[in-house]
Amino acid sequence: MTALQSLQGLSWIQRRKITGILFVLPTVIFVLIFFIIPLLMTFFMSFHDWPLFGDRAFIGFDNYVDLTTDRQFLKSLDFTARYTLLVTPPIFILGFILASLVRHNIPGIGIFRTIFFMPVVIGLGVSSLLWVWLLNDQVGIINRFMLDMGLVTKPQLFMAKPDSAMAVVILSVVWKTVGFTMILLLAGLQGIPDELYESAEVDGAGYFQKLLYITLPLMRRTIALALILSVIGSVLSFDQFYIMTNGGPRNSTISIVYWIFNNSFTYFKMGYGAAMSIVLLVILVILSAVQFYLLRDNT
Amino acid sequence: MAETTLQQTRYTPQQIQKFRQRIIITIKYILLIVLALLFLFPILWSFINSIKPPSEALAVPPTYLPTQIVSDNYTELTTFGRVGLVQHVSNSAIVALLTVVGTIILSTLGGYGFARFHFPGKNILFIMVLSTLMIPFQSILIPLFVMLVQVELHNSLLGLALVYITFQLPFGIFLMRNSFLAVPQEIEEAALLDGCTSLSVLYRMMLRLVFPGIVTVAIYAFINSWNEFLAALIFMTDQNNFTLPIFLTNVRSGLYGIIDWGALQAGVIVSIIPSLVIFILLQRYYMNGLMGGAVKS
Amino acid sequence: MKFRKLAIFALMISLVGGIMPLSAQDEPVTMSLWVRDSTVLVEALVDGWNETHENQIELTVIPASEFVTKMGAAVAAGEAPDIASIDLIYTPAFSSAGQLTDLTELVDQLEYVDDLSPAHMTLGEYEGRNYAVPFAAEGSFLIYNTDLFTEAGLDPENPPTTWDEVLEAARAISALGDDIYGYYFAGSCAGCNAFTYLPFIWASDGDVLSEDFSEATLLDDPIVREALELYRTMWDEGLIPEGASIDSGENFTNAFASGNIGMAGTGAFGIDNYKSNYPELNFDVTYIPGKEGGTASFGGGDVIGIPSGSEYVEEAWEFIAWALSEEVQLELYAGNNQLPVRLSLSDNEYFDADPRLKLAASTLSVGHTPYSLVYNDLFNDANGPWLLMIQVAIFDGDIDGALDEAQQRFTEIMEG
Repeated sequence: MTALQSLQGLSWIQRRKITGILFVLPTVIFVLIFFIIPLLMTFFMSFHDWPLFGDRAFIGFDNYVDLTTDRQFLKSLDFTARYTLLVTPPIFILGFILASLVRHNIPGIGIFRTIFFMPVVIGLGVSSLLWVWLLNDQVGIINRFMLDMGLVTKPQLFMAKPDSAMAVVILSVVWKTVGFTMILLLAGLQGIPDELYESAEVDGAGYFQKLLYITLPLMRRTIALALILSVIGSVLSFDQFYIMTNGGPRNSTISIVYWIFNNSFTYFKMGYGAAMSIVLLVILVILSAVQFYLLRDNT
Repeated sequence: MAETTLQQTRYTPQQIQKFRQRIIITIKYILLIVLALLFLFPILWSFINSIKPPSEALAVPPTYLPTQIVSDNYTELTTFGRVGLVQHVSNSAIVALLTVVGTIILSTLGGYGFARFHFPGKNILFIMVLSTLMIPFQSILIPLFVMLVQVELHNSLLGLALVYITFQLPFGIFLMRNSFLAVPQEIEEAALLDGCTSLSVLYRMMLRLVFPGIVTVAIYAFINSWNEFLAALIFMTDQNNFTLPIFLTNVRSGLYGIIDWGALQAGVIVSIIPSLVIFILLQRYYMNGLMGGAVKS
Repeated sequence: MKFRKLAIFALMISLVGGIMPLSAQDEPVTMSLWVRDSTVLVEALVDGWNETHENQIELTVIPASEFVTKMGAAVAAGEAPDIASIDLIYTPAFSSAGQLTDLTELVDQLEYVDDLSPAHMTLGEYEGRNYAVPFAAEGSFLIYNTDLFTEAGLDPENPPTTWDEVLEAARAISALGDDIYGYYFAGSCAGCNAFTYLPFIWASDGDVLSEDFSEATLLDDPIVREALELYRTMWDEGLIPEGASIDSGENFTNAFASGNIGMAGTGAFGIDNYKSNYPELNFDVTYIPGKEGGTASFGGGDVIGIPSGSEYVEEAWEFIAWALSEEVQLELYAGNNQLPVRLSLSDNEYFDADPRLKLAASTLSVGHTPYSLVYNDLFNDANGPWLLMIQVAIFDGDIDGALDEAQQRFTEIMEG
């Protein structure tokens, strides 16, 4: 309380400024200590030939230059971009459908919300293993079911072709994450007062008009949140490919982070991995900034 | 012509309305049930497989229903290793609790700060906090560990929790900021003009209004902390401090990538129960009433 | 007078002072030992040691797939364990980076030093000095289903000893039925194939690397092409299940256990697994054959070393020497169906009961292991050139392309 009293002498605006800073200070401290400092170390490492074990040497920008001619890095950029573009719409469309379905309190809706959210509480690594098992040609139930139903004549090898491998990974990721998007979108939907819909209906608005002119605009902030998080998550995807496809078939599903992981922990080239990480960070900051700008509040 | 019109007016507009609503609700329930079954199927199937005898769990081709129901896959969990399931669960629980509490406090304070106050560097700080999400954890894993060793926070549940809190903050701040922004400013302005301090405004008034946001942050912080594997593995140098995910990985993995499917299934079921319980307890806060009531002013 | 008393007193103090540091070391210490994956053997060893010694060992089991990451992080932060059991193929990388304590003097004192598994000892050396010794041994060999052999009209007592015989046996067994196949290998597992496929090449006096391990000989050595052709033929004729092409290891043992596979490569862990979990399965083992005869094996497993900077070098060595002692090798290793790391002990009373284990143990004496600082990049990496070559040559049928690409990639990686 004495701190506040000593602030009495300052103007209202100055007091607000200081209070604001105080509110965010704990967060900033945490981020500085546990993220920025290690990040600076990583940045430092990126200018070195820094093996996992052994002596390091300063090599300036060599790592970054090498990235431009690294075929696999460029392939990974392409693959990650395609993956992100393919996985984001299903997550959002399905997430929105689910959120709309569970929005009103009809009896038993809590059970459905829980069921849709259940995959989210499993870790991504475990979920990937689960799907490896389900899709397996020997012990997997999906193949058994399709055989019994006569849909196929022999067990399908989902991981054998690049397209089917990517498709089942997307399926497993959508299953795992859509419940979370549903919850985020649900919060946004809840914030829209029913009266707005009611008066629109009186004016003769149909379902799609209500969607386009009321729901979506009012959910701008929520959609921005969900979209930016989802895109970042997809660009940073790793576990699902590491566990489900091992980057195959024929190295066609190696995401950027997978390639960073390989360089750092399989080839022991930590400096090179660090440089890739910094480039990735820059890409993501720009991507997020663009999304923020496009989805900014017009209020 | 006149007869047809007579037939058409047999139903009142209200009855037609009610009939339409009934159809919509029925379609809704059908959709919900179909989707629910699709979503539930992998987990349900996991459970069914986990109660099969281990040899049946590996059978080629797989059986649909268990020929016998046994708990072998679960007892394997309780008897595996030198430290024991209970210790690992307790480690995970402590870390999760610390993470949830810390994340809620910092996210709420920080989210309020970013939403309602203006100060120099605000946008840069916000981007800095968000950027925590934009690096794969593997990239800063080793520098972070080296740093933790310097401050002796490695191999401690507290140290792990502090790291988890940091990585939950971007989402927490982002969400809480959104939640605060959605509350009309008039409410606070009135209170502030009356002479309340920002902190008491936050505490007495805003918390109720942004409670669904806090709940979401709490659930997400719990789930991520409970399931996190890599940081826990690298930062703990003593097996007694290993958390549940590491234990489960050891139980199910073998040489050359061989996986004990039965152990995997039992592990899945065991580890989702706490997160599910928390979600079930808290999900009613997403109901319409809480948020809607406050906004109507 | 006073001076003499003082002198005697001083002498006594210095004597006691000299003795004191010795007795300080007699206080029991606790050493940390890190191993990958939990094995029956390690638990038995640690328990056996702890019960009979004052110095205690604290065991930490780390998931194998993360072992290197964790060691790397620990080393970087100065938190390495006192003793570490590492996959032997990583040892050159560790020792060349100065991460392991030089054990040469201690090793030389072992009377049975020449009896230790040659593959492990070679991998544990760097520039003429020893940095690690064998801890757990795995040699590769062929396992075959004796029931299927008999059904197909083959003699289970006379398993294949040349590639042609392998091919004939595979054809005969596959002809038994739709779901029965003559051969199996995990087509998406890099390490599994280093373990079970390279020996085919070595047994025929070929290699993928030059003798000094400095160059790749994929294109130069005709045996490499012929080995690829052997597997390709078997795949082409449908003698291998289709699912093998995407098996990254998770079906490795289960496939053979189903009883529908004629032959497959495996290690002693396979014998242990099938004996314990699939008692109705009738199988026998034989050496991996060369093209016209001859045998070879991949000497794999773990070595044990003392990370540099450990405070307990002597105490750790006590444990290591104890683990290598005849008694422990027989009772705890052989007694638990694990291969002794000392060649002379592969013939022992425990294995008398099961000659399959004897054969498995004897593979260590023909065990090769590539010595390379970039072994991981070449042979273990799921996205690396070894696995890619196998997949393109065998499943896609492009042997020439596979060899060209692999030779190029191997060379690039080895040149660093």
